[in-house]
This record gives sequence, structure tokens and C-alpha cells, in this order.
Amino acid sequence: MEAIDYSAAGVEVRADLLEAHRDLLEHIRAAGTWWTGAQRIAMVEEARRSLGCRLCQDRKAALSPAHVQGEHDSLGLLPPAAVEVVHRVRTDPARLSRSWFDSIVGAGQLSDGEYVELVAVVALSAGIDFVGCALGVAPVRLPPPLPGEPSRRRPASAKGGTAWVPLIAAEDATGPEADLYPATPMVPNVVRALSLVPDEVRALWRSSNAHYVPLEQIPDPSARRSLDRMQMELVAARVSALNQCFY
Amino acid sequence: MDLAAVNGGVDSDAGVEHGARLLSFAEAVMGSDEDALKRERVALRAVLSPASFVDTCAVIGAFNVVDRIADATGIPLDDMMKMMSAGLPQELELTRFASAANTPGM
Repeated sequence: MEAIDYSAAGVEVRADLLEAHRDLLEHIRAAGTWWTGAQRIAMVEEARRSLGCRLCQDRKAALSPAHVQGEHDSLGLLPPAAVEVVHRVRTDPARLSRSWFDSIVGAGQLSDGEYVELVAVVALSAGIDFVGCALGVAPVRLPPPLPGEPSRRRPASAKGGTAWVPLIAAEDATGPEADLYPATPMVPNVVRALSLVPDEVRALWRSSNAHYVPLEQIPDPSARRSLDRMQMELVAARVSALNQCFY
Repeated sequence: MDLAAVNGGVDSDAGVEHGARLLSFAEAVMGSDEDALKRERVALRAVLSPASFVDTCAVIGAFNVVDRIADATGIPLDDMMKMMSAGLPQELELTRFASAANTPGM
């Protein structure tokens, strides 16, 4: 895969961030646990297309997205349920609801594993695209997908009850999942959120460590980068408020 | 830090060095006004080192990842975080967010 080039930003982007974006795109273009590389790249293409989708715009403007019906402006490369998830997660994640989730996963349109992997790909790629937008460069060109079949490996230790999707508890992250979580006294739910598809948790680590502070350093208020921690937290909090994310 | 800055509409630095510029830039990145984004980028780069500017962009990216993961999986706020932030969600009116429904008692 070609190197990531942010030179148009007119500022030097640190090597670890460039490497993380490259690694994340390599991860996305490869076969995953439930989706092929071609489908995973299609998810990113669809997520980018969702930004101009009329249905998504109408829903975002409506008091309730459930009251606006129609067809997504879609590339037609993914099943309709996957397109719905991609568009909603990318454009209006704040108003996703349990009933909406149940209409997708509960109704059997997607498996919970397919759903989690789809959420991961859309979220991770959104992060890359927001960095590009902030830097003032065009969205990264997507690499071609890699061949291969999904592993279809479901972790036996994932259990329901905490969130909409099954999660692996910290004490159950053993064997093949022994590396999933940091050795901290508490593993927050946001780290466990993708654990039904363990490789996406590993990708999230890769993303967070390069974009924020390394996971195990988060509780340490002195952990910082060139920005000091207070500055980082101010930006983080405002972004989350603008995303209307309660967590 | 003046936590009220989380909800915007604060003209000051909120007790954080270059806070006002950081907030304006984050809002511009998250918005849809390209001209405003260009202006805020220039303004932020005028006061931050190149490395700090890149870090700002990276944090904006980071939280666009985790916010989506949190809201799309329906995870509740952790018990320890609920305890540590007791009263804050109400004080900052964060319970107005639809995703507050994922945390029992909010």
C-alpha cells in the first residue's frame, strides 16, 4: 500500500500518526471476521457517500429520524441493512436507539458480529477522515481491497447484558483474547464495546494510541503530547458534546 | 478548566491555554462552513506549534471514533465513571443527549 501523504497540509505530521493511518487502512482493506476486504472498503466508500445523502440530511433535520422514510443515496455495494447502519453511524450516531438496533440485528437483517465489525470500520475510517478534514487535506485515497475470506471466529466468552451487543468482560479476556485489554484496574466499556469482534478492539487500540494518549496512560493526568492534557481534554469534550455523545 | 465550555458559547479560554481558539477550531471542523474552517485553521496555527496543531487534529479524529463506537453499541457509562462524575451530567445538561438512555438512572 502506498504511504499516506499529508504534505498538502503544509505541516509535518508525526510519523506515528501516519503509520497508524496506514495500518488502519491495511486493516480495513483486509478480510475481517465477518466481511470481506471488498465489503470493508465499500463500507468506507459508503460512509463518505452518506455525507451527501438526502435521506440522511432529512433525518438529521427531523425531530425523530424514525419518522423520515426513504432510500439512501447508496453505491449499491452492500446489503440495504448494512447501508442503513453505515449511513446512520456516520451521519447521526447520537440518535441511534435500541429499537433501531433491534430492527437491524434483532430482526436478523445483520448478525451482531456483522454489525459490530461494520460499526468499527465506519468509526475508524471516520477518525481518519476527520483528521484529514482538520488538517485541510483531501480524504485519503482508499487502497484496493485484499482477497481472502472472513475468519468467522466468534469469541466464546462474549456475553450479553451490558450493552446492545455482547461484550467480553475483562476477567474473561483469556486465551486468544488475552491481549485485548490493558492491565489497568478498570477496563472501561468503550474499550470493551467492539470485543465481539476482537480484531476491531486491536484496531481501536492502534487508533487511540496514535491519536490520543496510549490507553494505559489515560488515567495519568500528566500524560500528554505537544498539546498539554488540559488542551486535549477540552477539545475531546467539545467534540463529544457536538456529537451529542453522553458517554 | 471551565467545564461549561463543553457546551460551547464560551468566549474565554475556559482556563486552558489557547482554549478559545481550540474550541473554535473543533467547532469549525465539526461544522459545514468551509470558509469558517479555513479561518479557524489559520488562527489556530498562528498560536500553536505545528506539532500541537497536528495533535489537535488527531484528538478531533480520536473522539469521532469513540463517540460513534459508544453510541452505536449502546454501552452505558461505567459505574466508576458515574461515581467520579456524580452530578456533572446534570449540571452540564448532558442528559439531554439521546444516548443518555443507555445509562440506567440518567
